[in-house]
Amino acid sequence: MSGAPVFCMGGGGFTMEPGRPALDAYILALAPVQRPRVLFLPTASGDPKEQVERFSRLFGAWPCKPRVLSLFHLDELEETLETLVLSQDIIYVGGGSMRNLLALWRAHGVADLLLEAHRRGTILAGLSAGAMCWFQGGVSSSTGSPEPIDGLGLLEGSFSVHARQVPERGAVQRSAIAAGRLPDGWNADDYCGLLFVDGRLEEAVASREDAGARRVERQPDGTVTETEIPVRRLEPITIDVVDGHHERRAGAALASADVREELREVRRIRDRAISSRMRARRAG
Amino acid sequence: MEPRNPLMDDFVLELSGADQPRICFLPTASGDADHYVVRFYRRFGAGRTDPSHVSLFRRDRSAGAVEGNLEEHLLSQDVIYVGGGSLLSLLGTWRAHGLDRTLRRAWEQGVVLCGLSAGSLCWFADAVTAFHGPSERVTGLGLLPYSNCVHYDGEPERRRSFRSMVGDGLRPGFGVEDGAALCFEGTTLKEVVTSKPAASAYEVAVDPDGEVVERRLAARYLGDSGDGEPAAPEGRASLQAVAEAPAEAGRASDPVAGSGIAGGGGIVGPGPSAAGPEVETAVAA
Repeated sequence: MSGAPVFCMGGGGFTMEPGRPALDAYILALAPVQRPRVLFLPTASGDPKEQVERFSRLFGAWPCKPRVLSLFHLDELEETLETLVLSQDIIYVGGGSMRNLLALWRAHGVADLLLEAHRRGTILAGLSAGAMCWFQGGVSSSTGSPEPIDGLGLLEGSFSVHARQVPERGAVQRSAIAAGRLPDGWNADDYCGLLFVDGRLEEAVASREDAGARRVERQPDGTVTETEIPVRRLEPITIDVVDGHHERRAGAALASADVREELREVRRIRDRAISSRMRARRAG
Repeated sequence: MEPRNPLMDDFVLELSGADQPRICFLPTASGDADHYVVRFYRRFGAGRTDPSHVSLFRRDRSAGAVEGNLEEHLLSQDVIYVGGGSLLSLLGTWRAHGLDRTLRRAWEQGVVLCGLSAGSLCWFADAVTAFHGPSERVTGLGLLPYSNCVHYDGEPERRRSFRSMVGDGLRPGFGVEDGAALCFEGTTLKEVVTSKPAASAYEVAVDPDGEVVERRLAARYLGDSGDGEPAAPEGRASLQAVAEAPAEAGRASDPVAGSGIAGGGGIVGPGPSAAGPEVETAVAA
């Protein structure tokens, strides 16, 4: 596994909380370059137009090079899939049906490309289905009611989303872990995301005060426990995503400044984390 | 669903033989695009049919789509109508939800299957698609043991590719232009119908000398009751394939032979029409 971060949200970001882009800004800040190339994959929702528009509007106003990959409109793609996927700094995966997401990625050969991109250093991020997909397994409602589902296995463990919003998912995760169907893992509420580096949890962040995340583990006596993990509340970024051109310009200017601020903060955290890992390795 | 041209859709409903057919739309190949679903209800609503649709991307939310047991719902339909879009995405998503097996069962039980573009290609053993970049061969559901290439009147490259693939060993099959449809009963082609007077379908095969032969198939224009000159074309039509439902009796002991499917550019029906298409012209590739 490369050292590139993987950021997994229980929910949140521009598709769920437009106008409150703190988590999106955090993702952008993970890239160690000035103008990261950011590729959005709305696959799990069937590439709906409104997600594509929201992404383009928000990231189009930020210091980055946004692109969208629509597997339903590959006829509009000028380069090969491989060229596009392997040339990104950040790949951001939307929510929706995890079953469909994985089936579509496999049908188009995208899953292997994404893993290869990550090996080469591309940051992966996503929410809901787009977050669970990186783990060994998750809990999906793709067929109606929540059930365990296998993921790509890039990250060890299981991940369940919308924890507080849809408690049934957590119940399914716990019983699947108890039964050995899913490995130990985490769950996260909407508006909370977990950052993994080298397969290890680095930190949890949230765009709202009450959003949390938990470690979910099977104990020697067979019971499954949930332990709250510390969550850092991100500074709110206020930008009104509006249709008017003038307001959008104003919003863009505001957002860029805030993103830079956020970028600096995140880089400080990353630098600290990376150097502490280096120290630990040297010590080990 | 050609805008402003209901001929193909009317034909599909006729094939069902029902007064108010239960018709279910599968917009999977478009990612369940809302505008497509709306178009379906506009065309098939208004009391003519008992319409429904399945969204494989939103099975946890109603949004008006069928919930619960999809198989039961699909098997109770008179017509299953598959929309166009990305063939690879369509097949991948269907297989993930087991709809490949359900649709075969529906066909065996006599449900009329129809669709256009990707929704036509999917029924065949082999599909030739040029959705992204050069033409490529995709393995379909295989209800119809032929190859299929749609939008045959599109780029000349597509036609050339299909013929050369058949020359290189791809199983024989059909090239279908926009506005034309193949109507199968079981695996037998019953007729070619068109919603545009000039639209055609072709059979592409290899002759005993190894030459690729393309024959234009006789077609029936749906806009004329008689044999008069057809009305002016109504723009680019896009209905590509229709699979038809089973013969009247429906359940045959041999399910494949007993049911009908239309693929290619059209519809299939249990129609009383000619036994088979006639060869009008032969073109060596």
